[in-house]
Amino acid sequence: MANLSRRKFLESSAGIGVLTIAIAQTPYILAQETPDNTGLLTPCLHFDQAGAITLYVPSPEMGQGMSTTGALMIAEELDLNLDQVSVKLMPYVEKRVGMEFYQGSGGSGSTMRTWNQVRSTAAFARDLFIEAASRQWQEAALNLFIEDGHVVNKANGDRIPFANLVQSARNFMGGSLIPENSSPKPNSAHKRIGKNQPIVHGKEIVTGAPLFGIDVDIPNMLHAVIKRCPHLRGHVKTYDDSAATAMPGVKQIVPIARIPEATEGWRRVAAGIAVVADTYWQAKTAADKLNIEWDGSVSKDDDTTLLKSKAIESVNSADMRTTIEAGNLEAAFNDAKSTSEATYYHPHWAHTCMEPHNCVADVKPDGAEIWTGHQFPGTAISGAAEVTGLPASKIKSNFYRMGTGLGRKNEQDYVKEACLLSKAVGAPIKVTWSREDEIEQDYVNYMGAYKIRAAVNDNGELSAWHMRAAGDAFLQRPTVGFPARLIDTYKGEAERIPNHITRGAWRGPTQNVTAWVVQSFLNEVATDAGLDPLAFLTKLYSQKQVLKDLNWPNGDHDFRRYIAVLEKAAELANYHTPLPSGWGRGIAVNHTFVSVCAHVVDVEMIGDSDYKVHKVTSAIDCGYVVNPLGVKAQVESGIIDGLCAAKYGNWRLERGVPVSNNFDTYTKMRMDECPDDIEIHLLETGDTEPRGTGEVALPPVIPALTNAIFAASGKRVRTLPISENL
Amino acid sequence: MAKVNFSINGVTRNFDGDGDMPLLWHLREEAGLKGTKFGCGIGQCGACTVHVDGEAARSCSVPMSTVDGASITTIEGLADGDKLHPVQEAWIEEDVPQCGYCQAGQIMATTAFLKEVPNPTDEDINNGIDNLCRCGTYFRIRKAIKLAAKKIQET
Repeated sequence: MANLSRRKFLESSAGIGVLTIAIAQTPYILAQETPDNTGLLTPCLHFDQAGAITLYVPSPEMGQGMSTTGALMIAEELDLNLDQVSVKLMPYVEKRVGMEFYQGSGGSGSTMRTWNQVRSTAAFARDLFIEAASRQWQEAALNLFIEDGHVVNKANGDRIPFANLVQSARNFMGGSLIPENSSPKPNSAHKRIGKNQPIVHGKEIVTGAPLFGIDVDIPNMLHAVIKRCPHLRGHVKTYDDSAATAMPGVKQIVPIARIPEATEGWRRVAAGIAVVADTYWQAKTAADKLNIEWDGSVSKDDDTTLLKSKAIESVNSADMRTTIEAGNLEAAFNDAKSTSEATYYHPHWAHTCMEPHNCVADVKPDGAEIWTGHQFPGTAISGAAEVTGLPASKIKSNFYRMGTGLGRKNEQDYVKEACLLSKAVGAPIKVTWSREDEIEQDYVNYMGAYKIRAAVNDNGELSAWHMRAAGDAFLQRPTVGFPARLIDTYKGEAERIPNHITRGAWRGPTQNVTAWVVQSFLNEVATDAGLDPLAFLTKLYSQKQVLKDLNWPNGDHDFRRYIAVLEKAAELANYHTPLPSGWGRGIAVNHTFVSVCAHVVDVEMIGDSDYKVHKVTSAIDCGYVVNPLGVKAQVESGIIDGLCAAKYGNWRLERGVPVSNNFDTYTKMRMDECPDDIEIHLLETGDTEPRGTGEVALPPVIPALTNAIFAASGKRVRTLPISENL
Repeated sequence: MAKVNFSINGVTRNFDGDGDMPLLWHLREEAGLKGTKFGCGIGQCGACTVHVDGEAARSCSVPMSTVDGASITTIEGLADGDKLHPVQEAWIEEDVPQCGYCQAGQIMATTAFLKEVPNPTDEDINNGIDNLCRCGTYFRIRKAIKLAAKKIQET
């Protein structure tokens, strides 16, 4: 099934008896009988001629569980049993007036952004079936209800399956029934939403079904392996392909120019030499025989050690740009009962997506087709359009489950490479990245240094906050974030350290490191003032009730939610119960985009420089919960990802060349470092809509960990990764 | 070049080609078995784990020249027809997979591991399973391994 091309899908969905239900604001769009269903209709519900039902979910799946969450939303409105339907990713449609499906995976927003869209569509389908049955039975619609994929007559118990109503529903679509009149169920009527739902593709996964982009083969496809320039700013100087050309199966050697060519510009596609061959292995072995000289002399200043010293020097002495300021800082420090000051630093992190990047492209003069996994289908298509010179409307697309995305799979490089090569060779080409390139050519999380000082007044309250930040993103965001504005006296300053490193979204962008800096330093401040860190935090977050975030997505922070998750996590973790000698407990909270999560981490030191995480206790407020089992999976995932990045994450460059490039040089956590126990509580706060989960648990687990290490050992980790700084 | 005969999931196969080619690429590109995944190419992550003569092996690091006479099992051959292997059942019951990319390798590693250590403790699991999962499903994998051990003992 994974190889089912969009063309085939369209053929199969154009048959008689097929119904696609669209979200649409006008009857006009519904009335379109689109022979091939391209573009104009966005199907979320599909019946084949035998009556088998497929649900189409708009959000790409990368492990965050959106195929299950989306399916659950549709199934709830239609009272469908998920065991009896198939679930697929909705084909990409261009946004058109009146038809808005959010087709992306980022910012922990897929659930909340599709919540109303998907349920409204499904509710409209439900009303169509009831109307169809009402006409067929000559029975008033209010005497009918739906149950397990049937319309049921209350009076006599007659049942008719949806599939048998498809034909008649088609006949009056766009007539008297319009989607605006269809309302999703009230939450109080939910039978499936809110209950644990295992992932819908579990059986396919455990049996090895070909679900991923890397599993796609198409007829006459050739394989490409690219030797990419490791230098951020490099070009190919010279190359000798005589040995590679002589290798079996090799069809063509294709140089790829850096995009953009000017080395001052941020690398979007690496310069490289591609070997195109019949098989992956032939392409790889031939590529290994290429003799390439890179011109990388221009990137030697992009060096981890150098950048770190520049960032730290900057926070210590540079004249920075003030990002935010209020109150009399020096007076607050003069009046303080205690003051604290510290410098923090975190290095770059690589994504290490489990599935190396890949894309199949078939580019012809009048149109192209791509097969890949991508977090934002529209972004992948525009990348293909850019390098082929074709309009986006001429790019057919097929999107697949991703072996993690983590923010990296919203870049265009791997799609562009496949398109460039297919165009050059005139055949369908599959590009498969090596692990080495996945790490070397990453769009990494930014590095940053922070100098923070804070004051505590006689009442034991935070009374002044001053953060100076420098890194290779413009670090305005951490400096304007809370606790600035939560208290009355604060200052933020920031500076950018220029370099050529490609940076990108890394799970929980900005928050993933800011939470560590802020929550670890607040722990220092409380400790320096002789206060219990938890009591200090709850007092801090009691100062105001709600403030608007100055950072994306600019929503409200309700600090009562902070306190609620802190107190719940503390209660479940028996926060005040003493631990054995050599153990420590740390707590931290963070609001990431839309939701709030707190963790308590219990660690035991192993010697002086290592530790074991015994337990993580978590409380998350992510609004109305669609699938508790899925939310818990994401919290567990965020915990492990955070513990791993904190301990080991360190993507290093030496004179412009990455020196970490596979799992032997870029360490990742394995089973032996997984906490013995993870306990998660989902807060019910009366929200009627979901917020978000995928990235929310990660940021606060890092400070909870380093705070626990401090409690256990007296060592304050102010430089990441922990493994190199304890 | 190498000429070898072996079996995959009980079906006899012949290979006549580059003996240095890893078994992984034979499985994925020549045998059409896509369940075994490419992850790192250096035997570090375990996404490509299969069984060679009943033992877990990282197929990215098993050259074709070495599989003459071998009996190879992949994730596609683990179930008995429609009846899933207890490890597969446990993975579903504990709702282990997130993205799912590493899970075939995790399952193959676990089935081999449970033959050696039928009733594992947490420590046994920590020492015996070191496949990488980037979604961080370790906590559920640990529970699923114990559930699978119980299921196997009950059958």
